[in-house]
Amino acid sequence: MSLFSIWGQYFPSYLQGLGVTIELTVLSLALALVIGFVLALMRLSKVRGLVIVATVYTDVLRAIPVLVMLFIAYYSLGAIGIKLSGVEAAVLTLGAFYGALYGEVFRGGISGVDPGQREAAAALGLPPSSVMRKVVLPQAFLAILPPATNRFADIIKDTSLVVTISVADLMLQSYQAISATYRPMDMLGLAAIMYFVVYLLVSRVLARWELNVQRRRS
Amino acid sequence: MHVAWLYLGPFLQGTGVTLELTIVSTVVALVAGILGALGMIHGGKILRAVLVVYVELVRGLPPILQLFIIFFGLTQFGVQLDAFSAALIWLMVYGAGYAIEVFRAGIQDVSEGQWEAARSVGMGYFTTLRKIILPQAFALMMPELTNFTVLQLKNTTFVFFIGVADIMYQAQQGAASTEQPQVMFVMAALFYLVLNGGISRVAALVERRLTAYR
Amino acid sequence: MSKDVVVDIQGLTKSFGDRKIFRDVTLQVHQSEVVAIIGPSGVGKSTLIRCVNYLHPFDQGTIRLLGHELRGGERPSAAVLQDIRTHVGMVFQTFNLFHHLSVLDNIVLGPVEVKKVPRKQAVERAHELLEMMGLTDWAKAYPRRLSGGQQQRVAICRALAMDPKVMLFDEPTSMLDPELVGDVLEAIQRLAQQGMTMILVTHEMMFAKEVADTVVIMADNAIAEMGPAKQVLENPQTERARNFLARVLRNTPPADIPQAVVGGDPD
Repeated sequence: MSLFSIWGQYFPSYLQGLGVTIELTVLSLALALVIGFVLALMRLSKVRGLVIVATVYTDVLRAIPVLVMLFIAYYSLGAIGIKLSGVEAAVLTLGAFYGALYGEVFRGGISGVDPGQREAAAALGLPPSSVMRKVVLPQAFLAILPPATNRFADIIKDTSLVVTISVADLMLQSYQAISATYRPMDMLGLAAIMYFVVYLLVSRVLARWELNVQRRRS
Repeated sequence: MHVAWLYLGPFLQGTGVTLELTIVSTVVALVAGILGALGMIHGGKILRAVLVVYVELVRGLPPILQLFIIFFGLTQFGVQLDAFSAALIWLMVYGAGYAIEVFRAGIQDVSEGQWEAARSVGMGYFTTLRKIILPQAFALMMPELTNFTVLQLKNTTFVFFIGVADIMYQAQQGAASTEQPQVMFVMAALFYLVLNGGISRVAALVERRLTAYR
Repeated sequence: MSKDVVVDIQGLTKSFGDRKIFRDVTLQVHQSEVVAIIGPSGVGKSTLIRCVNYLHPFDQGTIRLLGHELRGGERPSAAVLQDIRTHVGMVFQTFNLFHHLSVLDNIVLGPVEVKKVPRKQAVERAHELLEMMGLTDWAKAYPRRLSGGQQQRVAICRALAMDPKVMLFDEPTSMLDPELVGDVLEAIQRLAQQGMTMILVTHEMMFAKEVADTVVIMADNAIAEMGPAKQVLENPQTERARNFLARVLRNTPPADIPQAVVGGDPD
């Protein structure tokens, strides 16, 4: 069978897998953004307890390999009675881990805003929540965007770890296709092309968007 | 918790494998990273284009897919690697892709004036690099290099999937035979925590020496 | 306190750790009075006026304004703070325009967010203010496109849009190129003529003499001398005031139009 006809034969299942990959990415990203924002606020707060909890969380999660966390979420929690599906375990793990990374990104962006901007907003009588919402966050946004989009691209790649807990994403589809066809390079190649196209789309489209935002503001 | 004690031996064996993979691949990746970065900065058009494609591929494809391509994919062309070699090669290839970017940024952060000053006292390209640029670049890059080493260590976990007996593999074996994954994987997490803590500690010492001139 | 005292500062003292910023400052500002605070760098002039709208807390003493009393070492309630800041306008040395908002939106933000003025009305008022400052064409531009002098005049518009009872100026011209200082000073002078109550930290001696009713000279972390502008500047009574003026005036080019004093104040 020619390369293209075998690709054509498997393409539908790969597309299905890609759908799962995208689903995992979007859910994990959403969870990570929420966790990251909360962590950033905790670390920037003046409450010592919150700062310590957020710092320990960040340091520990960054030091443990994602795969180990995934297995803890899937197998270990399961053994003590918290049964999660593969997708749930993956979203929880990636969300928790990338939440720690996004927390750092957000904190850097927010604390990078010139203190004079807060002062000016406070001097107008804006209450603290409005100072954050109307002045600090919109400005931090620009600094946050490039590292945040990099992390986003990393999440897409890391969803492939679910192959180890049998979630039928793009990676697992190609892995199974290998044993069915005995043509490993051909079948991995198709997956590689699909991942790479998504990666390029995400990184290029987001880069273009970043540029536009920056241009509009200067 | 006697199960944990029972598996301490295998875990320590696994630690040896993990460390071997981490150290060898990190050293090779760093050297390749320096050369690649110089190619990116001072190389010709073609070399630069090749390097850009290389870096983009390494960064754009899922790590586990890259590992599969080296271990399974190459067999289609008759290249049969044992699991450990495949794992090591992948870690080198993958690490180098990231190291190139780290060094490119680090070397470019050293001001152009340093090159000019070295040239003005008659130093050649490689002497300038070795004596002037890299020492400063290393000091600037210590946080990124520490991060890089931690990342390499974390990346070694993927190789259990092709049967390399690292910490992750031992944990998985232990979990299967004891049916106590809650012990085994938490134990693995602790091992990685300790190892990464060690890397950060060593890096802090190195950084203090490198930045002594400031 | 007499009826037309707008800001009443009594015995104000502030330190940063071991470092005394200023001690025992007592100063009253009356309706429509212009008070200029001058003095060498690092004597706490900027910190003093930042205490008036509580951007900085202070250790001892009281500030009474707008029917509120701020006491040293005591954090005012959020409501009091907001009321004070709403009615006290502030212009910063570094302009601090919001970079992510257009000139117009910089001016409209306060009235809409804080005073709940309908946007349409706030926009109209903003245009009036911009016209007054000769900045009509810049309403849609982002702040970084403007020169420093223009940015500072927008900052004045932003403060005025809140209809403040008192205006604070923190070295409004010390970051400006000399040729841009004139426009800003002119704008401040016009406000003075319209009867705005103002406290102004500045290095512009000539300007202080011309526009201020009262001049306060701060030296060695306290008020060295205070009184009618002409008297204090031309015939200072205290040694410290004389020393300071002698040092500054030597560096000031003789001029009848306001000019920048050589060298800015970094604090």
